[in-house]
Amino acid sequence: MSEIEAGRIKEARPPRVQAADAIRRLVGFVGAENLSLLFALAIVVVLIAAQNSRFFLPANLLNIGGNVSVVGLLALGETVVILAGALDISVGSIAGIASVVGALAVTSSGAMQLGIVGGILAGLLFGVVNGLIITVLRVNAVIATLATLSAFQGVAFLIAPNGKPVGVLDRDFAWLGSGRILSSETFVGIPISLIILLVVAVAAHVLMRYTQFGRSVYAMGGNAAAARLAGINVNGMKIAIFGLSGAVAGLAGVISTARTTSGQPGLGSQGLELEAITAVFLGGAALTGGKGTIAATMLAVVLIGTLSNGMNLLGIQTFYQDVAKGLLLVVAVAIGQWRAARAERARTRLA
Amino acid sequence: MAIAPPEERLDRDPGVPAPDEVLELIGLSKAFANVQALQDVSLDVRPGEILALVGENGAGKSTLLRILSGDYRPDEGTMRLGGETLSFTSPRDARRAGVRVIYQEPEIVPGVDVAENIYVGELPHRGPFVDRQQLDRLVADGLHRYGFERVLPAQLMGDELSPAQRQLVEIMRALKSDVRVLALDEPTSSLTDEEVERLFTLVRRLRSEGVAIIYVSHRIREILQLADRVAILRDGKLVAVRPAGETSDAEIVRLMVGRELRDVFKRRRAVQERVVLAVEDLRSAWHPGVTFEIHAGEVVGFAGLVGAGRTELAKVLFGAYPKHGGRISIDGHEVSIRRPRDAVRTGIGFAPEDRKGEGLVLVRSVLENASMAILARLSRFGFVRRRLERRVGREYIDRLRVRTPSLEQEVGKLSGGNQQKVVLARWLASRPKLLILDEPTRGIDVGAKAEIYALIDELANSGIAIMLISSELPEILGLADRILVMQNGRITGELSGPGATEEKVLELAMVDHLTAEVPGGETAQPAAEGLQPWLDGNQGEAP
Repeated sequence: MSEIEAGRIKEARPPRVQAADAIRRLVGFVGAENLSLLFALAIVVVLIAAQNSRFFLPANLLNIGGNVSVVGLLALGETVVILAGALDISVGSIAGIASVVGALAVTSSGAMQLGIVGGILAGLLFGVVNGLIITVLRVNAVIATLATLSAFQGVAFLIAPNGKPVGVLDRDFAWLGSGRILSSETFVGIPISLIILLVVAVAAHVLMRYTQFGRSVYAMGGNAAAARLAGINVNGMKIAIFGLSGAVAGLAGVISTARTTSGQPGLGSQGLELEAITAVFLGGAALTGGKGTIAATMLAVVLIGTLSNGMNLLGIQTFYQDVAKGLLLVVAVAIGQWRAARAERARTRLA
Repeated sequence: MAIAPPEERLDRDPGVPAPDEVLELIGLSKAFANVQALQDVSLDVRPGEILALVGENGAGKSTLLRILSGDYRPDEGTMRLGGETLSFTSPRDARRAGVRVIYQEPEIVPGVDVAENIYVGELPHRGPFVDRQQLDRLVADGLHRYGFERVLPAQLMGDELSPAQRQLVEIMRALKSDVRVLALDEPTSSLTDEEVERLFTLVRRLRSEGVAIIYVSHRIREILQLADRVAILRDGKLVAVRPAGETSDAEIVRLMVGRELRDVFKRRRAVQERVVLAVEDLRSAWHPGVTFEIHAGEVVGFAGLVGAGRTELAKVLFGAYPKHGGRISIDGHEVSIRRPRDAVRTGIGFAPEDRKGEGLVLVRSVLENASMAILARLSRFGFVRRRLERRVGREYIDRLRVRTPSLEQEVGKLSGGNQQKVVLARWLASRPKLLILDEPTRGIDVGAKAEIYALIDELANSGIAIMLISSELPEILGLADRILVMQNGRITGELSGPGATEEKVLELAMVDHLTAEVPGGETAQPAAEGLQPWLDGNQGEAP
């Protein structure tokens, strides 16, 4: 249907159809594939809120936001990598390096900004190392980052004096992790770390949706051979993508440092990369690349954060929480597969 | 999995004709969502008969095959074999009843050899261990029986097989059990001429053994040569069934399309003086040195056998494969093309033969696929100007008459012809000086083919130089202003005007092959027989 036709038909439609159109447009904005995530989130919220009245307090809701910031950031970088058809399992270790570098930069210079920049640059550098291993040495991305998962963790301990955590006393820097703005008598304020996460999420969304870079990521993730033949610099893109993922992991490391007021070389051994990857797949991204959105990943991050916050409020043991998260991923992917199979059946009609 | 004793499986006795087991399809209907894919189709196939099934893409052939193989259940209608009603709930039921469907792209396990692939899921075993000796013996017997020992070495691994060999594996899988009905879906679309001949021999042999054969193909001449009867489907309905001896390619095409296909190759163009592409002594792993030119507004056809180095030449030109030496000039200036990106910047477009594997990003939208090669032009400060993109995308999608519900439609959900048009839209949008088309109409139905021919003509008229690689001789003879024939990485001849005939092209393409050993170890067919598959185009006579 051409646009002109569409316009003409819309004019003639009764108000009820227009309302249906509005809903459809709303669905289109969220993305039909994200509806089940929203639905799951609604269920989780209703279940928890029915059991615990504190859940809906603004303080608690903002806590969720603050708590997901580190994993959320890692998941954003990971989304870009996965959309490009690869996987980066070294992001936790990179965050560890950035945490140490950031902490050292702050303690030695006393400037918060230097800590932030130092951490991000360290992340970028090691991300580019990943990219070079993958393109120049032609090592598969999973294997390459599996190797650097281990290697970078070692590097983080080597950088840290005596291999010990680096305490950060700088108050400005701590504000980055646990500070809040707009706080008043009646309002607890919005966590700075949540704001950083949202800013990066919006930037990532714009990057993936509206830029040449984002388009190229989707194209090479969907079919690298076709992308190359369409003139896309696939190798250059890979280096950029892993550099980006590293830089965002660096920022996540800095935030983590600020939250715990110490540079943690052991950040890479906490399974953060797996949590991030979990969020991306929960958001419905395809393992093979080319399919998925930043918005879906963010929804998944919020869903996981809400679930663990709710279970904490309800006093559920950590072990049960871990089982619940695992189940959530399986159920979400199973539902995605079922929908895909149904769509496939609907389209094999002709041929 | 319980199965019959393996010793008996490959032993079909050719001397005894099967009992009279007519396959009857009675009033089959199948709808998907709101599309009627198959409507009240009644057909019968007798043992020892080859029934050809033809129709455009979307005519319902595949649906019919999928019902036959137990993949789909019909909404209405029944199937009977030898008077017994068949009711399949899964492909396994169909196999058990002796009904096998061979699809174009069979499932092959890449990491195991031919023998294990043939017996996959039914390996002979002794206790928990595979009985390798027995397996080898069974496979060797089977291959020998049908004369495939040399074309299909049993120790080749799954991922080393050519498309033809993959198909043979699938056929051998079918033959190892008792086959009563065998359906083949476009079996020759990726085969070389010799392979086609060998397949025909096999199909005829199975016919003489009393198998009822359903043969789906786009190649009408091939059908007329092979089949006993031809059934024509259009829009899910059975239009006609004709004895092969009493019909013609023209009639079949008319019945398929519902209109006469005329003036497909109407050439109105004038080749310009200006040379767009000049290739001098281009050398690569496949080419000892290739020299040619293409003028503005000229369509140069590249003919040759499969493996003559035509696709490789295109890829070397485009920077996808490494070049060892030689010069490439565009518009008189020497250019350095080391990767596809360089070629795109230089003004070359390339629609590859493998549309799904190399042409399109199937999971992304029509628009994203169409704009993929011109993102830089559409962007400002790295941001894609979406309104401009839509306008440009819409322009080319409309111009090529791509039938898609919207620009946001996933390309993988379009039909083959429309997918090819999206690839072409991408390169037209890049406003190329030279367009390389590798098998642009492979696997595309007659109607879409005619549109693509008209488009190629139009593009040449607008001054684009076109390098057309095709294995369909009528296509090349009809479209090209000049034909270059390749063999073993060399250009062995140039033909144009009235001198360009099918016989002449074949002579140049095969001259060495007539006497030389060909890979696979057998002497090639004499020209007259090897010629046959070349003559199988959909368009009938070339002008």
